[in-house]
Amino acid sequence: MSAVATKKKSEKVPKMEPLYTSNPLADADPETQARVGQLENYIMKNCLWQFNSRGWDRRKQNAGIIGKTAQLLCGEEVENPTPLEKCYWVDSVLLAEAYREACPWITAMDKDAIKGLMTKLHQRMDWLMIDGSLNEELTVQHY
Amino acid sequence: MTCDVKVKERVGTINPIFTCQPAGAQFVSIGVKDCIGLVHGGQGCVMFVRLLISQHLKESFEIASSSLHEDGAVFGACGRVEEGVEVLLARYPHLKVIPIITTCSTEVIGDDVDGVITKLEEGLLAEKYPDREVHLLAIHTPSFVGSMVSGYDVAVRDFVKKFAQKGEPNGKINFITGWVNPGDVKELKHLLAEMDIDATVLFEIESFDSPMMPDGSEVSHGNTTIEDLQSTGAASHTFALNRYEGGKAAEFLQKKFKIPAVIGPTPIGIRNTDSMLKKLSDATGKPIPKSLVRERGIAMDAITDLAHMFLADKKVAIYGGADLVIGLAEFCLDLEMKPVLLLLGDDNSGYMDDPRIRALQENVDYPMEIITNADFWELENRIKNEGLEIDLILGHSKGRFISIDYDIPMVRVGFPTYDRAGLYRYPVVGYGGATWLAEQMANALFTDMEHKKNKEWILNVW
Amino acid sequence: MPYHEFECSKVIPERKQHAVVKGEGEDLTSCLPKGYLNTIPGSISERGCAYCGAKHVIGTPMKDVIHLSHGPVGCTYDTWQTKRYISDNENFQLKYTFATDVKEKHIVFGAEGLLKQNILEAFKAFPEIKRMTIYQTCATALIGDDIAAVCDEVMEELPGTDIFVCNSPGFAGPSQSGGHHKINIAWVNTKVGTVEPEITSDYVINYVGEYNIQGDQEVMQDYFKRMGIQVLSTFTGNGSYDELRGMHRAHLNVLECARSAEYICDELRVRYGIPRLDIDGFGFKALGDSLRKIGLFFGIEERAQAIIDEETVKWKPQLDWYMERLRGKKVCLWPGGSKLWHWANAIQEEMGVKVVSVYTKFGHQGDMEKGIARAGEGTLAIDDPNELENQEALRMLTPDVIFTGKRPGEVAKKMRVPYLNAHAYHNGPYKGFEGWVRFARDIYNAVYSPIYQLSGLDISKDEIATDKGFVTRRMLSDKNLPEAITSDPVMSEYTGKYDSVSELREKTYPVFERKSATAAAE
Repeated sequence: MSAVATKKKSEKVPKMEPLYTSNPLADADPETQARVGQLENYIMKNCLWQFNSRGWDRRKQNAGIIGKTAQLLCGEEVENPTPLEKCYWVDSVLLAEAYREACPWITAMDKDAIKGLMTKLHQRMDWLMIDGSLNEELTVQHY
Repeated sequence: MTCDVKVKERVGTINPIFTCQPAGAQFVSIGVKDCIGLVHGGQGCVMFVRLLISQHLKESFEIASSSLHEDGAVFGACGRVEEGVEVLLARYPHLKVIPIITTCSTEVIGDDVDGVITKLEEGLLAEKYPDREVHLLAIHTPSFVGSMVSGYDVAVRDFVKKFAQKGEPNGKINFITGWVNPGDVKELKHLLAEMDIDATVLFEIESFDSPMMPDGSEVSHGNTTIEDLQSTGAASHTFALNRYEGGKAAEFLQKKFKIPAVIGPTPIGIRNTDSMLKKLSDATGKPIPKSLVRERGIAMDAITDLAHMFLADKKVAIYGGADLVIGLAEFCLDLEMKPVLLLLGDDNSGYMDDPRIRALQENVDYPMEIITNADFWELENRIKNEGLEIDLILGHSKGRFISIDYDIPMVRVGFPTYDRAGLYRYPVVGYGGATWLAEQMANALFTDMEHKKNKEWILNVW
Repeated sequence: MPYHEFECSKVIPERKQHAVVKGEGEDLTSCLPKGYLNTIPGSISERGCAYCGAKHVIGTPMKDVIHLSHGPVGCTYDTWQTKRYISDNENFQLKYTFATDVKEKHIVFGAEGLLKQNILEAFKAFPEIKRMTIYQTCATALIGDDIAAVCDEVMEELPGTDIFVCNSPGFAGPSQSGGHHKINIAWVNTKVGTVEPEITSDYVINYVGEYNIQGDQEVMQDYFKRMGIQVLSTFTGNGSYDELRGMHRAHLNVLECARSAEYICDELRVRYGIPRLDIDGFGFKALGDSLRKIGLFFGIEERAQAIIDEETVKWKPQLDWYMERLRGKKVCLWPGGSKLWHWANAIQEEMGVKVVSVYTKFGHQGDMEKGIARAGEGTLAIDDPNELENQEALRMLTPDVIFTGKRPGEVAKKMRVPYLNAHAYHNGPYKGFEGWVRFARDIYNAVYSPIYQLSGLDISKDEIATDKGFVTRRMLSDKNLPEAITSDPVMSEYTGKYDSVSELREKTYPVFERKSATAAAE
């Protein structure tokens, strides 16, 4: 029997270097910690996109979704050239909406502050879900 | 000859009547007190059987797995048996008996379970538990031989073989009930009590129908003790009611301890119960008391209300364990019914020589088919594609869709019966069982009459 | 690391790393048990085997297929009728199961000839079914039968048939999960792309990791159809073999049970660029969010919102009725692999029920990450639970109810904890808006059962009230509720029917105009 896969199977993935060796928010001021904590808590209670099964996949998910959420919160136009990008975007739309509702202080922030805060969130999520994660399957090569 | 005995022609199984051997061995293991079976094989072999048993009895029982994984399949898994025994003994302080039950995978791999037991006895048990009573036994039940019925038979023999001890005659008989329900054991013990016969009942599973206690402490388990098993070697007789579910143990006791084996009959129906009581009386010298004449009379009274009016000429299909099927067929004949199709779910070569089957072949005066190595498709295909008409099905719950889809009334008997409430609590053996069976069959036919509006008004003044 | 050591497992110290208690301020970098490791022999684990994961969980829900296990009868018998995955073709896959009935002589001499005869016999017995899946078992894996070769031969002899081979014997992995993986990969490798499906909508999804337990899939499919979305295939509940061969043409993979089916979603993403969207079909908020995301993806968000609005108006008052009465009740959420995380937060938020423990029988650390993230503080999380630990945990936690499997439910019953079947539900389906209310109702009926209350009375020593003939559930549940709640005119008990699914099969759906060919291609 011929295996009819029109696309190639998963290529071997290069070994991923960790970005963080400790909690990147450990030295942040209490208000930032609290605010990022609130944003993080919403994601952890309600979202699933951050739990893909491989570290490199989580890296992409975090970048894609948190990145677009930041853009949306800043009122920027988001480009979705591929279906994969579109898929990050739909999670971002709901996340941005939830943030505006649950964290009204966000609407009072200016663009740079929002971007700064979201960058901190991104760092925190990368630490929590990838570099600091105790999940030993994140570094397995294939699916 | 209008009674045809044949082997299923197809090689494959469509809707199996039985599951495989390890299930039978596991069912035996839960009947023994302070016993937890260790099934040496994949986890499914235990998980599914525990589920099956829990469906039938609505109770959970403790059985362990050696959890064969890929490395074991490649390199051998005897180490997992050792580890399993060690873990069980460490965590269950009251545990005394661990049967190691093999499966197809570990038999194919060729793990030497008997050797492991010796190693454990000389090693772990001697060193870590020198003062603790622990019994290990190997039960070889690969799934590619026989069925859950033969697995049961093998396990009963292996338990008896392991524990039976010679001793001063204990004045008891060994009473191997076969694969029955708590309700059956209750009825059989009642009959023995009325006969004033002291018996070692294998297995004491009345306690399977266990309570919810206010303090939440109850755990479901069997009550046959090691002493019970040991005493089997000092009995006067061994009664094995079901030839295929305990016959091997009786033969073993006869061979090794010269204890006369009385095999059968399966005491289903009035005639077979009479026969069993006669054999018990002959063996023990105890007379059959008047109280049982009355009990029998109550059964006769109930049954005669039903037989020629409602049950006569009803065509019945029966499937399940051979002893159960034959016993039910014989009772049905006494009830004027017509068992037309008997399905025996495995390929035991002994069926062809079974005198009960011979008797059916010689005396049945209408077309009857007996199929060995049968599956449910043998029944369904005949109904669906060959015009077979059935008035009643007797068998276990896995056949329910035939009853449902072809609208044929069915009385659940055998194992497992999970789609009706509480069946395990009632006997199908003895006089009580004869009454219960006849009334269940009648009520099933009555419900069907009403459901199909088929002269249901007859019952207005019955 | 907040490990939890069970008294009963002190003698097997490696178990300590398999349970944690989520403490204050703990996050996943400090609080996660080990997962998906080899099982400890003799532990009386809850786990099953890889054949189960492949054949029973994922393979057999396919409704237009002959499911043939190559091996002795036991594996087949044990996985027959023991799940409540229904189908809209009269449950063919529930009623009929097939085994090659391998015997000792086949173990010795090989069983390929037997297999071939079986395939022919099965197709002959059911001439209207042209598709078959063959599952390897421990026995036939060990004797090395080349199932694929036999199938190739038969497919040539019987044109019009197609056969899928799944090599996932019971020992292939520490638990069911190994089987999920094997069948996912085998399907995408050998069957996806072998059929070009008919596309009937501009919005095409595969609904993945959904097994139509009591009609879950049909409930969700109803929402998708109301949005004008084509469910190209469902992997695999109420699913069709040939539809699943066309998975490569979907625009989006909507994934529910990531534990059993993220593998095929990940492969489809890599091979065909189809994105993977993880959703929850349980809980009003989660389900609403999920429908909106799917709607957003296709630019039809308003259709999703219409459904959410309609369903919420109808069912929220009933959900709220139960929430008022279930607030503060404690539950042990003890399912197989993914419901611990599908349910942990939603139950708390929308029914007020406190999750005091989660466990996973065969899940991986990823499932625990999700479960612990969504559970509250103080939750005891256990990986690969076993009988003694379960009993110890129940005594320690004293939950009001437990969501678990049928057999562990019997253990709970003995310990006087009412159970709901987390795998196959009690009166389901539990997905969807109405389904979530059905779930709440089942919890209410379990928790406030007057019979359960009576089971705690020791008539030999406790006080027996002689002035009561009965107690109702409302008497128990409304005892301390303010009148504003008990006489609220809007909230009500569940008003739906016993069977909430069959009528979906008779529904007609709106037809949405297709975009022009050029617009659709963008």
